[in-house]
Amino acid sequence: MSKQRIAYERVAIGRHLTALLFVLPALLVYGLFVLYPLAVSLWGSVFEWRGLRQLGFSGLSNFIRLFAFPNGERLGGALWHNAAWFAGIMLFQNGLGLLFAYALFWSRKGAAFFQSVFFFPAVLSPVIVGALWRLLLAPNGAVEWMLNGLGLHEGRLTVLGDSSWALWILIAIDAWNWMGLPVLVFTAGLRQISYEVFEAARIDGAGQTRMLFTIAMPLLVPALSSVTTLSFINTFNQFDIVYVMQGVQGNPSFSTDTLVTYFYRLAFGAEGSVGITDIGLALALGTLLFLVLTVGTMLMLRGFERASVQP
Amino acid sequence: MSSALHPAAQLARLPGWVALLLWTAVVVLPLYVLVVSCFKTTAEIYINPMGLPASWSPTNFITAWHRANLGQNLVNSLIVTVGAVVVTLLVSAMAAYPLSRFRLRWGTAMLGLFLVGIMLPIRLASVELFTLMADLNLLDSLFGLVCVYVAIRIPFAIFIFANFMRVLPRELEEAARLDGANDLQILFGIILPVVMPAISIVAIFTAIAVWNDFFFPLIFIFDNNLKTVPLAITSFVGQFRTDWGMVFAALAISLAPVLAMYLVLARQIREGAGAGGVIT
Repeated sequence: MSKQRIAYERVAIGRHLTALLFVLPALLVYGLFVLYPLAVSLWGSVFEWRGLRQLGFSGLSNFIRLFAFPNGERLGGALWHNAAWFAGIMLFQNGLGLLFAYALFWSRKGAAFFQSVFFFPAVLSPVIVGALWRLLLAPNGAVEWMLNGLGLHEGRLTVLGDSSWALWILIAIDAWNWMGLPVLVFTAGLRQISYEVFEAARIDGAGQTRMLFTIAMPLLVPALSSVTTLSFINTFNQFDIVYVMQGVQGNPSFSTDTLVTYFYRLAFGAEGSVGITDIGLALALGTLLFLVLTVGTMLMLRGFERASVQP
Repeated sequence: MSSALHPAAQLARLPGWVALLLWTAVVVLPLYVLVVSCFKTTAEIYINPMGLPASWSPTNFITAWHRANLGQNLVNSLIVTVGAVVVTLLVSAMAAYPLSRFRLRWGTAMLGLFLVGIMLPIRLASVELFTLMADLNLLDSLFGLVCVYVAIRIPFAIFIFANFMRVLPRELEEAARLDGANDLQILFGIILPVVMPAISIVAIFTAIAVWNDFFFPLIFIFDNNLKTVPLAITSFVGQFRTDWGMVFAALAISLAPVLAMYLVLARQIREGAGAGGVIT
C-alpha cells in the first residue's frame, strides 16, 4: 500500500501543480494584504516622506529623530507604559489566572460554570468593555457609589483623570477582559498532569502551595509559554481600550499612551495640536515595534522550550 | 474516598472557593449594572446605580436604536463577519490540505511562511495597507474589510486545519483516490467532514475576532452607513456621553448578539481556547 503511494507521488509532477493551485488563493490574499504592506513598511522606514509621498533614501535619520527630542520623550513614555502593561498583565491576569485554574482543578464541581463566567468578557469587543468601564468609573458612577458605601473612598472618584492611576486602571480592565484565557489554558494544562502525582505528593505531606510550585508549575511550562507570548503580543498591540477610555492622546497628559496609539497619531494625523502626519517617523516606530515583537517572541519561545521538562 | 475522609483537605480548598466567587462577582456586577442602567434615567443612575429600576421601560433602547443607526451597524458587522468567516474557512482548508497531507519538499517552508503571520504585528503596516486599499479602491468598503480580515486570520486558520489534518490516517483518501476521485472531491467529501472540530474552532474564533475589531474600521471606514458596531459605538459614546441610560442601552444592544452566541457555544469556546490559547 505505502509502496504504491510513494511511487505514485514520485511520478506525478502534476501533484505539485495541484498543491500549488490549492495554496494559491490563501497565499495571494495573505501576501497582498499582510506580507506586502509589512515588507513595504519596513523598507519605507529608511526613506524621507512628505505626506503620503515617499522621497529619497534617508538612512537612519527617521530612527534618529524618533529617539531625539521631542519624540524621544513620547517613545520612552509609550515603551514604559507597554512594559508596565505587560508586567501588570503577567502578575495580575496570568498570576491570578493560574491560582484560579489551580482552585478549579481541585474542585471540579462547577468548573465549567466558573470557566464560562470568567471567559465571557473575552468574547466582548475591548471597545464595549472600555466604554462600559468608563461609565462605571466616571464621577457619580457605580464604582464611586460602591467605594463610598463601603467607606473605602470619599467624594468624587476621578481615577481616570489622574495620571498616577489611569494606566493601572486600564491594565486592570484589560485583565478583567482577558482573565478567562489563562484560566482556560492553565486548567487544560493541569488536567494533562496525572492526578496520581498530586495524590502521592499529598500523602507525602506536601501542602497546596508546595504542590503548585514544585509539581504543577514545571509541568505547565507549555501552557505558561503560550499564555506569556500571547500576552506579550497583545500587550504591545494595545490600542482599543486606551482609545475608547482615554482618547488617542493617552490622556491625561500622555500617561496612558502606548506604542500603537503613538503610531496611530503619527500615521493618521493626530499628533500635536495641528494634527500633522509624520509617515517617516511612524514607519520607523513600526519597524522598531516589529523588531521588539519578533525578537521578544522568539526569545520567549526559545526560553520556554529550554525550561520545559518531560512529564 | 478522599473527600469524605479529609476534612482538612476540604478546608484547604476554602480560600480557592472564596477567590473564585469573588472574581465571579467582579465579572457579574458590571454586567448587572449595565442591564439595570438600561432602564433608568441618568438622574436615577446617579442616585442609585446598583438598585433595580423604578420601571422597566424600554425608552432608552428605542432612543439609542434610532439615534445610533444600530440596525444598519449590526447588518454591516454581520456581513463582514460572515464574509470573512466563509472565505477564511475555504481558502485556509484548501491551503492546509496539500501542505499537511502531500509529501512536498516545499510544504514545510510554505507552512512556516503562513505561520509567522500569527505573530506579525499587522497594525504597524497600516500606513502601507491604507495606500494599498486606496489604490485598489477598497476604502470605505465592507468587501475591503473582508479582504483584510481574511488575510489576517489565514495564519491561525491554516495552523488549526494543518494540525487536525496531519494526524488523519492515509487510508482515508487512498480508497477514494483509487476510485478516481480528484483532490477537490477528496478534500470536501472526505477530509473536511472528519475535521469538523477544526472548522468550528476556526469559525468561532474568526467570528469573534472580526466582529469585535475596531482598528481597521477606524482607519478604513468613513461613511456612517458602513460603520461596524464597535466603530459606531465608539463615536456614539463620545457624542452622547451625558445621557447615561441611552449609552448603556446602546452597549447592551451591541452586546446582545455576542451573549446569545456565547450561551449556545460556551462549551466549544471553552475547549477551543483551552486547547491552544488561540485567540489573538
